[in-house]
Amino acid sequence: MTASDEPIYALRAVTKNYGAVEALRGVDLTVFAGEVLAICGDNGAGKSTLIKIMSGAEEPTSGTLRLRGSDVRFRTPQDALQQGVATIYQDLALAPRLSIAANVFLGAEHLRSIGLPFLKMLDKARMAREAQGYLERLSVKITDVSRPVERLSGGQRQAVAIARALRWNADVIIMDEPTAALGVKETAQVLDLIRHLKSEGRTVILISHNMRDVVALATRIAILKGGRKVHELVNEGLRPDDVSHLIMSAPEAA
Amino acid sequence: MRSIIERFGTAIAGLMLIAFFLVFAPNFASPTNLLNVVKDTSFLAILALGFAFALTVSELDLSIAEVASLVAVLVGWMIQSKVDPWLATGIALAAGAALGACNGFVVTVLKVPSLIATLGMAAIAKGLAFMITQGVSFVGRWPTGFTGLARGMTLGVPNLVWFLVAATLFAYIFLKWTRTGAHMIATGEADEAARLAGIATKRMKRLGLILCGLFAGIAAVLLAANLSSAAPGMAGDYFLYAIAAVLLGMTMIEPGKANVAGTVFAAFVLKVLGNGLVLMGVPYFVQDMALGVIIIGSVAFSASVVKRAAFKV
Ligand SMILES: Nc1ncnc2c1ncn2[C@@H]1O[C@H](COP(=O)(O)OP(=O)(O)OP(=O)(O)O)[C@@H](O)[C@H]1O
Ligand SMILES: [Mg+2]
Repeated sequence: MTASDEPIYALRAVTKNYGAVEALRGVDLTVFAGEVLAICGDNGAGKSTLIKIMSGAEEPTSGTLRLRGSDVRFRTPQDALQQGVATIYQDLALAPRLSIAANVFLGAEHLRSIGLPFLKMLDKARMAREAQGYLERLSVKITDVSRPVERLSGGQRQAVAIARALRWNADVIIMDEPTAALGVKETAQVLDLIRHLKSEGRTVILISHNMRDVVALATRIAILKGGRKVHELVNEGLRPDDVSHLIMSAPEAA
Repeated sequence: MRSIIERFGTAIAGLMLIAFFLVFAPNFASPTNLLNVVKDTSFLAILALGFAFALTVSELDLSIAEVASLVAVLVGWMIQSKVDPWLATGIALAAGAALGACNGFVVTVLKVPSLIATLGMAAIAKGLAFMITQGVSFVGRWPTGFTGLARGMTLGVPNLVWFLVAATLFAYIFLKWTRTGAHMIATGEADEAARLAGIATKRMKRLGLILCGLFAGIAAVLLAANLSSAAPGMAGDYFLYAIAAVLLGMTMIEPGKANVAGTVFAAFVLKVLGNGLVLMGVPYFVQDMALGVIIIGSVAFSASVVKRAAFKV
């Protein structure tokens, strides 16, 4: 286990209301550098909401976020990305008809000067080369990065989304149900990708409904119910059923 | 093999059509006729490239022809009033871009679907054109400093051809090789994904519609300069042709995507079709029907983006 005792990301008393709906009710959460933290809970428990707040997609109604020891406030996902927090959304947020390279560099293209003061051109060769490099680092065999993403398998798409996070050099990577739509083989591929991120010392925050994945990957597990964090435990000797049991048996929040 | 047919099938059909007219249509192959077809292609292709910009950000601009007519009337009015041709041209192009910006504002800020917003703009532009002309058209002996824009030659090549080449290169380089172009394409392809990646998607949509208005303005100035006259509705004939050029262009080279090379080639093919049919003595109304078939056929064939842009109402 490479996780350290140093918190990289911490939430204090975070609440989020959508009108009358209290999606989160005072959640404290500490994420340690280099760990894989799984966030579990039933449908509607508040997992996606929590992740939206951590990724800058939503602002909390109240509560504070601390990243690497200083208070942060993210207004957009871009703000978070710039501080090294990248999110891979449930629907991946890829542009299906654009090439793999274009997706990896979406919104953050490399440019090169062509000797004119005001005009810079896309550096497509460099982007292709680097996209290829990121995928190789993830041990994904994709030879032609000019292929449109729509022709890839689910696992390969997940890899493209992760490559984009690497392009931002994000050290905190948040993933919402990365294996939800995948088959057995592809799931295994994505789990390998996550292990790979961990081995590079990156911090991964993972939402999953699949307790086998969670037990196989996570260093720690946080369980949400009704917008509250009801458990937080180190993943040692846990079996998938133990986690399921904890989710089911937690007392309903008042 | 399959992808060659997919990418070049309709382009090859276009080439065969050109070959057919070269052989069978009387006078089609004469240099004067071919030059006229190319010149006529320039107005159409420039207007169509504008429409392609809008479609690139997944918006429809149904106001192009009326905006072009309005800009033509505006520039005609200024020329008639002895405004310096360069100044008049500058103001006219700015007006085109401004009308595009209005479309952009209505679509991105007031959140009116572009199909409706630009239909409204078409009606407004039409009304304004009649207001300016009071129902008559501007004709007269215009200074060659203005008419030369369209009728002159530079280095032995007609200026219209130069404008066509410049507009094509600009559009191609802008969309394919600049960051802003890439952001426009991403916005059209996957709005939400682009936004999450930090792309200013609304600004890109506005830019697409502004460029569309600007290109309509360029086509309008050239049209007025070429005819030495300006009248309401004068660009009306180009409306369906421009849309057909973009849609037919989307069936070739980069199938399913509004693309510059396809648009310009398709514009040429459509002009060849019109010209060749006339030379072969085919009644004029056949052209209109052929255009309708091409529009529907192209969308059925590959222009799924258009369906998305049109029906997200
Ligand atoms: N934009 C929204 N507007 C109103 N209510 C919302 C919104 N987003 C989430 N909610 C509500 O907040 C609660 C928590 O939702 P959230 O999506 O965070 O749950 P989740 O744990 O991710 O569930 P799932 O496992 O189904 O993805 C739910 O009751 C949901 O209906
Ligand atoms: Mg969810």
